[in-house]
Amino acid sequence: MSKARASLSRTTLVHLALIGYTLIAVFPVFLTLINSMKSRNAIFRNPMQLPTTETFDLVGYTTVLGQGDFASYFQNSFIVTVAAIALVLLFGAMAAFALSEYRFRGNTLMGLYLALGIMIPIRLGTVAILQGMVATGLVNTLTALILVYTAQGIPLAVFILSEFMRTVSDDLKNAGRIDGLSEYAIFFRLVLPLVRPAMATVAVFTMIPIWNDLWFPLILAPSEATKTVTLGSQLFIGQFVTNWNAVLAALSLAILPVLVLYLVFSRQLIRGITSGAVK
Amino acid sequence: MGSLQLKSVRKSFGPVDVLKGIDLDVKDGEFVIFVGPSGCGKSTLLRIIAGLEDATSGSITIDDQEVATVPPAKRGIAMVFQSYALYPHLNVKDNMGLGLKQAGTPKDEIDRRVAKASAMLSLEKYLTRRPAELSGGQRQRVAIGRAIVREPKLFLFDEPLSNLDAALRVNTRLEIARLHRELKATMIYVTHDQVEAMTLADKIVVLDAGVIQQVGSPMELYNRPANLFVAGFIGSPGMNFIDAGRLGVSDAKTIGVRPEHVALSRDAGTWQGKVVHVEHLGADTIVYLESEAIGTLTVRLFGEHHHAVGDVVFATPSADQTHRFDAVGQAIR
Amino acid sequence: MSDATSSRDTMAPIRRPRRWHIAVFLLPAFLVYSAVMILPLIETLRLSLFNTVDGEPAFVGLANFKVLFGDARWAADFWNALKNNVIFFIIHMLVQNPIGVALAAMLSIPKLRFAAFYRTAIFLPTLLSFVIVGFIWKLILSPIWGVSPYLMDLVGLKSFFSPWLGKPDTALIAVSLISVWQYVGIPMMLIYAALLNIPEEVIEAAECDGVTGWSQFWKIKLPLILPAIGIISILTFVGNFNAFDLVYTVQGALAGPDKSTDILGTLLYRTFFGFQLQLGDRSMGATIATVMFLIILAGVSLYLFVIQRRMRRYQF
Repeated sequence: MSKARASLSRTTLVHLALIGYTLIAVFPVFLTLINSMKSRNAIFRNPMQLPTTETFDLVGYTTVLGQGDFASYFQNSFIVTVAAIALVLLFGAMAAFALSEYRFRGNTLMGLYLALGIMIPIRLGTVAILQGMVATGLVNTLTALILVYTAQGIPLAVFILSEFMRTVSDDLKNAGRIDGLSEYAIFFRLVLPLVRPAMATVAVFTMIPIWNDLWFPLILAPSEATKTVTLGSQLFIGQFVTNWNAVLAALSLAILPVLVLYLVFSRQLIRGITSGAVK
Repeated sequence: MGSLQLKSVRKSFGPVDVLKGIDLDVKDGEFVIFVGPSGCGKSTLLRIIAGLEDATSGSITIDDQEVATVPPAKRGIAMVFQSYALYPHLNVKDNMGLGLKQAGTPKDEIDRRVAKASAMLSLEKYLTRRPAELSGGQRQRVAIGRAIVREPKLFLFDEPLSNLDAALRVNTRLEIARLHRELKATMIYVTHDQVEAMTLADKIVVLDAGVIQQVGSPMELYNRPANLFVAGFIGSPGMNFIDAGRLGVSDAKTIGVRPEHVALSRDAGTWQGKVVHVEHLGADTIVYLESEAIGTLTVRLFGEHHHAVGDVVFATPSADQTHRFDAVGQAIR
Repeated sequence: MSDATSSRDTMAPIRRPRRWHIAVFLLPAFLVYSAVMILPLIETLRLSLFNTVDGEPAFVGLANFKVLFGDARWAADFWNALKNNVIFFIIHMLVQNPIGVALAAMLSIPKLRFAAFYRTAIFLPTLLSFVIVGFIWKLILSPIWGVSPYLMDLVGLKSFFSPWLGKPDTALIAVSLISVWQYVGIPMMLIYAALLNIPEEVIEAAECDGVTGWSQFWKIKLPLILPAIGIISILTFVGNFNAFDLVYTVQGALAGPDKSTDILGTLLYRTFFGFQLQLGDRSMGATIATVMFLIILAGVSLYLFVIQRRMRRYQF
């Protein structure tokens, strides 16, 4: 009886602590979202209040959508992220397959070489990357960003995917060889479909830092035509510091796609992290 | 047709020699089984025959054609894997037909062969199912069907029964024996289970440490083992080995006698011993003796016998069924 | 094997075609990775040994480093940034990781209701960009808006409020805590995964031995998740000594007030690209990047060759 009560009070304490931290984690985001839909006066007078019929006002959004070129920023971010993820997955999976499937001289060395980039941030090479991009005329193009993010994503992709590819049955690949499939067909038709869950995990891990990155867009592609959402909102908000409606609306617009994607995919994402990350 | 010849096939992984010169002749229509303890090189040898692994040196001919550098799909072989290795994204029919499709076989020919193989294995009802929707036994039959439709010169089996439970294992063993009779095809089969080897094979190849220890029919191996390893490996419980010196025999180092070739008596016999343990298996009774003259002795008696631990009994080996081995373990004939 | 060479041709090693497909599989990743990541990194390290002398690039040996560490124009900024970065890292280790472990320990209590909800919610900030996070907190901590004083009033602490981000002696702590707020999800998830990996039998055996509750956590679970704590520590280290975005967003390139939040990343940015009146300096930028590289390399090596070797990995 007493033990049951003790554990009940312990559970209550745990829930209180978790609810407390959940509030800390979510509240700032929530606050931004609700205030973005209020009139200027209401933002300052009652920041904690949900928008009511009187205080509801979308003036922030109309300012943002009227001023900044957000549609094109979104498009840029989208192109860069999707292209980089596709290349990371394709190149990373190919390299992971070569490393996990074949015995050849230099296999371990190549594995270590590719793994270097997991720990050493690509940013440290920025000085020379910019030089290279200037020399090849890629500055202020989305290609520059795609290349950098592909290089940045490959090490982790190779690492995670080769772990998973080692679990694909050798017998299956050999059955394919006996049935006359080429090594390329074995990779694309047998192995890739089987590591799809790992590919999803890698895609998420690759996507978040790319979408959120400020450094490389700022340095390699700051022109109006190539601005990404992160850089665009950074500059936009910088200009409109005093227009709270616009700032809050811009923030909300930047949060929303991430929020929606997260709510849809959170289960897969968390499963990916908990199953694949600590091995 | 389907004959196979191996000439001094060697395989090393770096400094480790896995196969140390294998010579072997397999005639058309033979059922040959490679047995040996794990790590003896039997699976590597099978994979070299299939072309999945390259031999370091030596020659491999199938139907008198050198195939050492020919890719697996072009060797005219088919393989059944331990883990079935069915393509998870293809249904049963496509699993069986993929190899033919890759080789450019016309569609109606593929259909005909798949229909024939699935009838042979009673798989007609499952042709549109995916592997995940089949039981273990059904999957193994699909894997065998996939080999049959290729109409190969050589069937290769890599421990095909070890993932099945005991009852299914016996059924599938009978099935494979029946297929061999019907197809009259050459089959090479790897297992570590001597019961499978004894019951299925025309010819058994015993491997240990990368070397062929003996090749022969099951009964040859049982009755005339070439050396200590084969004598100990074939038969269960294993052969008793007695130091020849303790018996006063001077022209041999070791004397071997199978547990089923020893008679027990309470009154008189060659060796006196004390019962230390008894196992009752129903059809057999296994008695373990400790004898001052020869050490431990295992005796297999047919039917039910009652001996209590501690009883003193006499054991007598059947005279013409003892084996003699020399100092390096070779049988003396 | 020596006898093999002496005999007939069948014993000769078998010649087989080159396996070109291995190269084809490796090449794209190798090329992109080498060209865009490794070579620029090496080039950056090389540039740190050069400087412009009389308008011509010239090899200057370690002179750039001497300037960075000792010259009046550079040294103060550099040591300030390094000191701030160390503080930034220490705050993460002392706040982010313990909170992460505590949250993970609570979440992994068996049959805890709403665990999935808590997990999802607490991980949310990790996905947001620094830009969003930075501005949100800038607004919330702003004395103009008054959200923070209002909230602190609710718990009777209103008098403690001050514009932390604007004061030199509190700005760095405030920025660090914002970063902690954003990233606590990562240690939480990794520790959570490590805790889930502990087999149930081990916990049940502990229950049978009377090791329960807190002592169970300290004596059984914590030793088993030490490797995961090692991983999050090195991840935090690399992330912190490479940080830039948050400070840049919240405090600008000057990392104000009065460079009190300047860290190596912002110093690199200002040095390389210049700001306001100062011109960008490629060589000194490369020098700072090299120092950052060496710091991170030292940390990673320490982890790989000392900490990870000493740490027992348990096979379940």
